[in-house]
Amino acid sequence: MGGSVASVAGERTIETDFALIGHQESWRAAADVLAVLRGPERTPLPDDEIKDILPWIPPRPVCHVDIGSVAGAKARGLYIDSFIPPDRLEAAYVHENIARVRKAAACAIQAGAKIVSLGGFSSILIEGNFDQLPERNDTVFTTGNTLTVAFIVQGIQKMCALEGRNLCRSTLLIVGATGDVGSGCVRCLAPLVGRVLLSARKVERLRRLAAELQDDGVQVEIATDLQRFSAEADVVICAASLASPSLLLGRIAPDAIVCDAGYPKNLSPTAEMLDAKVFFGGLGQITGGMKFAPDFHGVLNRHPFPDVVHGCLLEGMALALEHRFEPFSQGRGFITPERVDEIETIAARQGIYLAPLYNADGSFEDGLDARWNGREDESMGERPSRTVESSY
Amino acid sequence: MEPLIDVNCSPMECTSLSRSAPIWQDILAQAMTGELLAAMNYTSLSEICDDPAEVADALEHSECERGHAAVFAAEGRKIGVEVCNNVDAKHWKRLRDAFLRCITERDFIGCLIVQEIMLESFAVASYSRVGNVGPGSLGESFARIAAEEGEHVDHAMAILRAERARDVQRFDDKVYRLHLDVMTTLAQMLAKECKDGHCEVCHASCVKPSLFEVSLSAAELRGASLQQYLKTLDMLGIPGEVTLAWVAQLPV
Repeated sequence: MGGSVASVAGERTIETDFALIGHQESWRAAADVLAVLRGPERTPLPDDEIKDILPWIPPRPVCHVDIGSVAGAKARGLYIDSFIPPDRLEAAYVHENIARVRKAAACAIQAGAKIVSLGGFSSILIEGNFDQLPERNDTVFTTGNTLTVAFIVQGIQKMCALEGRNLCRSTLLIVGATGDVGSGCVRCLAPLVGRVLLSARKVERLRRLAAELQDDGVQVEIATDLQRFSAEADVVICAASLASPSLLLGRIAPDAIVCDAGYPKNLSPTAEMLDAKVFFGGLGQITGGMKFAPDFHGVLNRHPFPDVVHGCLLEGMALALEHRFEPFSQGRGFITPERVDEIETIAARQGIYLAPLYNADGSFEDGLDARWNGREDESMGERPSRTVESSY
Repeated sequence: MEPLIDVNCSPMECTSLSRSAPIWQDILAQAMTGELLAAMNYTSLSEICDDPAEVADALEHSECERGHAAVFAAEGRKIGVEVCNNVDAKHWKRLRDAFLRCITERDFIGCLIVQEIMLESFAVASYSRVGNVGPGSLGESFARIAAEEGEHVDHAMAILRAERARDVQRFDDKVYRLHLDVMTTLAQMLAKECKDGHCEVCHASCVKPSLFEVSLSAAELRGASLQQYLKTLDMLGIPGEVTLAWVAQLPV
């Protein structure tokens, strides 16, 4: 940051269409954010200093985000970090973390954001309890989970197509099935698969969800213990709210397709799934351009493809580009296939599509990009601009 | 000097305090030095005020800070230690010099920013933490003085907000310039380890590695101080993304 703050301070008078509330899922990511803020001329902070300093930072805006639509619309937003320390996502810190999300929400309201997306644990903490947010004036909040569900479902369908699998003969396991994202995925995918296995921590919620599906004629098996299912799953969605990547799947088919849609990631790095096709789900790509000021490209969106963002945050962006400032996703139990279709359509109209599929080892589809994802009705002849600046 | 123990202490407190008294001695010395420096700053400020009410206000604040210094000295005596002070210690002197530069420029607003926003943020936050863990009246005194210093900040805030409203760009540029000067020094003072040698206030070796013995840590005091500073800047209305970068760029 240079000597003058005037240019940034002056920007406050510009309308804020959307705000994105998030937090870093690892200390490495947090270190990278602080390194950008310190600037290239200063030595990056040592890890121990980062762990000492970050928990004291109050929630606040980190950067401005300008986005564009393929339809020519533009929107301006803010990324607000709640600065929840990556090692304090456990239940023991829930009250402290809710307070952080509330303060971040207050920052968004103060900035005059018209719509706010709650990323990562932010939505889990507030989910279904929007009255816990500060007084809102004209600001609306969305968990963003409907678009996350849309991208998870699209990802599963695409991965099945890439692997030559027949989804309708698959056994689908959803871990974290009773959560907002998990239950949304169940409702979308249950009618398309052969068999459904649902896992979650709370058995009562599982029973309620199973009853809802059985009313629709879907055969469902539920268990709180992943080892207790009678069959091996060959399509798995991990959508549990875990504080760290600690999930060991156990009974799944050796060549299962596994979508890790958690933030932080669900799957333990020690999970042995030799022939499984694991990919990170719930991600979309904004093809009309995205620009951070200061430049946090590749830092706030740590993906091997440009302009890839979690679906929950993209939902707020898509709605802002569409000028639909409404609380589209409000928490547990409201995500239906119809709402998923609706947000998919809105997102696609603004040039926001399923991101290329990848995992920690790399991409499943080098050479493809968002223009070829989740889109059937537009010309395939012209590649989208990859140069963000060119959009502005 | 062998610490004496307050005769009113319980046997358990006596044992505990005799072991930790040298730590409290250094904590009190830093606090007392800060209060005396603040008193000097307010006296200097009174000399550039045109409005008699402002002169009176500054002198009253100066007296108040001297009173705080006296309280810290008295708390030291209660646990049997002599609390020294050194306003010429290297970090404190640099902070005083930064303030005096504002005085030389007859920059009343600059003085308020240095004293009320930067130095008081540090005082309020660190005294509050010490107040939480300090034994008996020592802890109570830190907590009470933290609250009083907080009132000073509130008083200045109205003046500073009004000044910012007049010219946002000029005001924020001024805060940033003073931040580079003052907060860099404070950050060095608050670093987990004193890398530049002895601070010239601690009575023996650096107290920071021993703070854990009284349930404190240098990292905690720094973190709380920077948090308070950021919150105070928020109250002024300076954009959070701007002040975040300022703080992230401080030395550690």
